[in-house]
Amino acid sequence: MARVVVEVMPKPEILDPQGKAVTGALARMGFAGLTVRQGKRFEIEVEGELDEARLAQVHEAAEKLLANTVIEAFEVRSDEASTAPVGGSPADPASVAQGQVSTQPDVPTSEPAATDAAAVPADNQPATEAPNAEAAGQS
Amino acid sequence: MSAPAATPDLAQTAPGARIGVVTFPGSLDDTDALRAVRLCGAEPVPLWHASQSLDGVDAVILPGGFSYGDYLRCGAIARFSPLMAELITAAGQGLPVLGICNGFQILCEAHLLPGALIRNDVRTFVCKEQRLRVESTDTVWTHDFLPAEEISIVLKNGEGGYVADADTIERLEGEDQVVFRYLGPNPNGSVNDIAGITNDRGNVVGLMPHPEHNVEPLTAPSTDGRRFFTSVIGFLARTR
Repeated sequence: MARVVVEVMPKPEILDPQGKAVTGALARMGFAGLTVRQGKRFEIEVEGELDEARLAQVHEAAEKLLANTVIEAFEVRSDEASTAPVGGSPADPASVAQGQVSTQPDVPTSEPAATDAAAVPADNQPATEAPNAEAAGQS
Repeated sequence: MSAPAATPDLAQTAPGARIGVVTFPGSLDDTDALRAVRLCGAEPVPLWHASQSLDGVDAVILPGGFSYGDYLRCGAIARFSPLMAELITAAGQGLPVLGICNGFQILCEAHLLPGALIRNDVRTFVCKEQRLRVESTDTVWTHDFLPAEEISIVLKNGEGGYVADADTIERLEGEDQVVFRYLGPNPNGSVNDIAGITNDRGNVVGLMPHPEHNVEPLTAPSTDGRRFFTSVIGFLARTR
């Protein structure tokens, strides 16, 4: 059984109240300098062979239901841990500089509005769904 | 079906006008919406989301609540209910459709209205009496209001922040498709204080506040909600 991962993130220009709440909580706990945006991860077990057509099908499902492209961007990739690579290209942002752990818990995070855009990894803006984002907002 | 004698809008009642209210799993205010329809002089018709038929109704209300538990996104799963396929077709042909709160979210998910509703910027559920300004009376659901009239309709939601891209907002503002705006402090972070919008044809309206809760003086701070229903009843009386 192949596995496909779909990750959905709020677009950078869209307010993310959940991420802001988590960011604020982290700051109060002493984790300074961590700005969070919260998204969703779907792990999808795919029956049959995971070829390009099947991946395209998952992409369509993500675009129709898993993400609302008016407010969210999404990324579809095969999960190499369980399947042979089929064109998945995760640029894992795990190497992002870690936030320093401050012992001064009352240092406020900078203004969220100013940091929101900078905090969003570029790989959440795939070109894959851009052409349809515009149409999706129309009636 | 007898309407209350005190209603001043009885002259506009459309005899036999049938207004459907769709119940989804998790709908909350469908019963209140049906009741409001009856109190305002039309025949309420309960509709089930899994049905394939709109039962020949003259207008449809998508009520408030938490369809499918708000799983995934508010309205995202309800939007694919069997009845919605019929509704999208009918709305495209001019059927009057009103989406209230979760109903508004469903209309946006279905792309019958542009934009989307996201979690309130205040991050809390808001439940209050809300002042609104009527920005457009050129819809089938609002023509009984006066232009720029200030009304009071209760507001209760967790995800009522209206957002859309800049081009869409510009178009909505330019084409008079913003129907209601919040007065006073913005309760949920909606762009331009937008509380409700309509499509370009004016037959589909969505708003976060709950007019079906504002139809009786005993239980509401105003009865301004009645005119949503009398508006569409009057429209049906003139067009049927």
